Amino acid sequence: MTEQGWLERELKAHGVSRREFVKFCATMAAILALPQTVAENLAEAIEKADKPTLIWLEFQDCAGNTESFLRASRPTVAEIILEKVSLDYHETVMAAAGHQAEAALSKTVKDYAGKYIAMVEGSIPTGADGAYCTIGGKSALQIAREVCGAAAATVAVGTCAAFGGIPAARPNPTGAVAVGDAVPGIKNLINLSACPANAENITALLVYYLTMKQWPPLDQYRRPLFAYGKLIHDNCERRAYFDAGQYVEAWGDEAHRHGRCLYKLGCKGPVTFQNCPVIQWNQGTNWPIGCGHPCLGCAEPNFWDRMTPFYRHLEGVPGFGLGSNVDRVGIGLAAGVAGAFAIHGVARVVSARRAARADGEKPEGESQ
Amino acid sequence: MNDASARRLPESAPGRVYVWELPVRVTHWAIFLSVVVLCVTGTYIGRPFSAGGATTDRFVMGIMKVVHFYAAIVFDVALAARIGWMFFGNRYACWDQFIPLTRERWRGFVKTTKFYCFLRHSFPETIGLNPMLGLLFVGIFALELLMAATGFALYSVLAPIGSPMRVFRFLVPILGGLQDARWTHHVGMWLLITLVLAHIIAVVVISVAQRSDMIGSIFSGYKLIVDRQDGERDNG
Repeated sequence: MTEQGWLERELKAHGVSRREFVKFCATMAAILALPQTVAENLAEAIEKADKPTLIWLEFQDCAGNTESFLRASRPTVAEIILEKVSLDYHETVMAAAGHQAEAALSKTVKDYAGKYIAMVEGSIPTGADGAYCTIGGKSALQIAREVCGAAAATVAVGTCAAFGGIPAARPNPTGAVAVGDAVPGIKNLINLSACPANAENITALLVYYLTMKQWPPLDQYRRPLFAYGKLIHDNCERRAYFDAGQYVEAWGDEAHRHGRCLYKLGCKGPVTFQNCPVIQWNQGTNWPIGCGHPCLGCAEPNFWDRMTPFYRHLEGVPGFGLGSNVDRVGIGLAAGVAGAFAIHGVARVVSARRAARADGEKPEGESQ
Repeated sequence: MNDASARRLPESAPGRVYVWELPVRVTHWAIFLSVVVLCVTGTYIGRPFSAGGATTDRFVMGIMKVVHFYAAIVFDVALAARIGWMFFGNRYACWDQFIPLTRERWRGFVKTTKFYCFLRHSFPETIGLNPMLGLLFVGIFALELLMAATGFALYSVLAPIGSPMRVFRFLVPILGGLQDARWTHHVGMWLLITLVLAHIIAVVVISVAQRSDMIGSIFSGYKLIVDRQDGERDNG
């Protein structure tokens, strides 16, 4: 497993210069909230690090997380670390197929038991004995328990693997669950949620592990704090408009063209933890809010159920229709109850007075 | 009873009973006023209107949020004090005024229900809260605690690093995530407004039906308890 100098060789083979590599390390240092001066140390540590063995499993997914990091425009250091060097098994990119591929998987699981890292993409269906997703005759549940159960650590990549995601959304026909819920006694589970998970965060997590020889601090949903420690809202470039009270009221209006706050279009940035505003997407090209679209909250648990309707601030009231106006229902309720109490109260007092008068000016008379 | 009867004014002021102690009245109005401020600012926060002018000159949402948070501090402290007073105050402030546990309270509850159902013409005499109003307060306190819990959860993610308020992040998964906490906080406001309106109307009706100066009592602390034939029996 130990293979000194593997990275240097690979970098040279892919034509990545030393300068580019150090620049990459500086980016990683920034994502991990380390000072820029440690970039050199980070580079040294990565070069000296053991080559990690990775197994990438895909279950009930759209391969979007794989796509996310395969879409790099040139062979970056991240790509090398993630797919060229260390992946022993990855359905989408591996050359082997059929029984050969499955044999490679079981060999890695056996030879590196307790040492490899399992990266899982997609949720795990538990309905119908796992029949909704089978690979090589085994159900996703079986494979996940075998592979993740013997892994040194499991990284759930993307919201489906981390929280169940879209397959687990109501009515969840396949009984899909998150990896953490499917594998009892899972060790060192790390959830990299988001739809898809940001390739920079996947890389940063591995760099952290390679250099620090431990896993980063996690939040209550087992997400690394370096990437999920702050609300999107708190780092948002449109935050000043939020605090000023200047909002986009409709798509394409003047405020939208001026790049003002998307809060009223249902932006879920204030309830979503991710570092999108800082590292952005597609190698820092842009990000949803940056190009005028509200955040959908894809990194939060059950976002497909909880964050919808995506373009409204709040979900409606059950029984009053999808996206019904909570305030209108609330005003109706308050007015209705107050009206009923008032009418009943007046009727009650008038009737009591009348009964008292009939009882011969005995206000305390009882009729029972 | 002893506590209250000891405070009873001499015969020259017949029926004046000291019911609501100072902490009860202060927390009552502190909660009421803070809830009014919280509803106004909270409605803006949930459904803001856009401010015109230069962005650098405006801080509408910022101010609304700060006022909301300070009003929330008043609300939370007053609510905690009132709940604490349920265990230290006089019998009319006691927690058992809210849930009809004793047979007497339960009988009073039935009598009040009969009154409201037009099956009885006099309002049953109670010095403190009548058992039915007490039950309404169970709803009000429950909603206020829910508002405090969802508010703490929502604030916990805004609290700066080092703030003790961050410990309330543990509430977020319990409440079903931040977006659900937001929804609950918003719907809770309307339910609270509904119950508060019901409370105000009920008190006005009781005040008129019972001629007990119930409305005045939350300012002065004294209720007018006229000795009636069935008064003592119903007192509970």
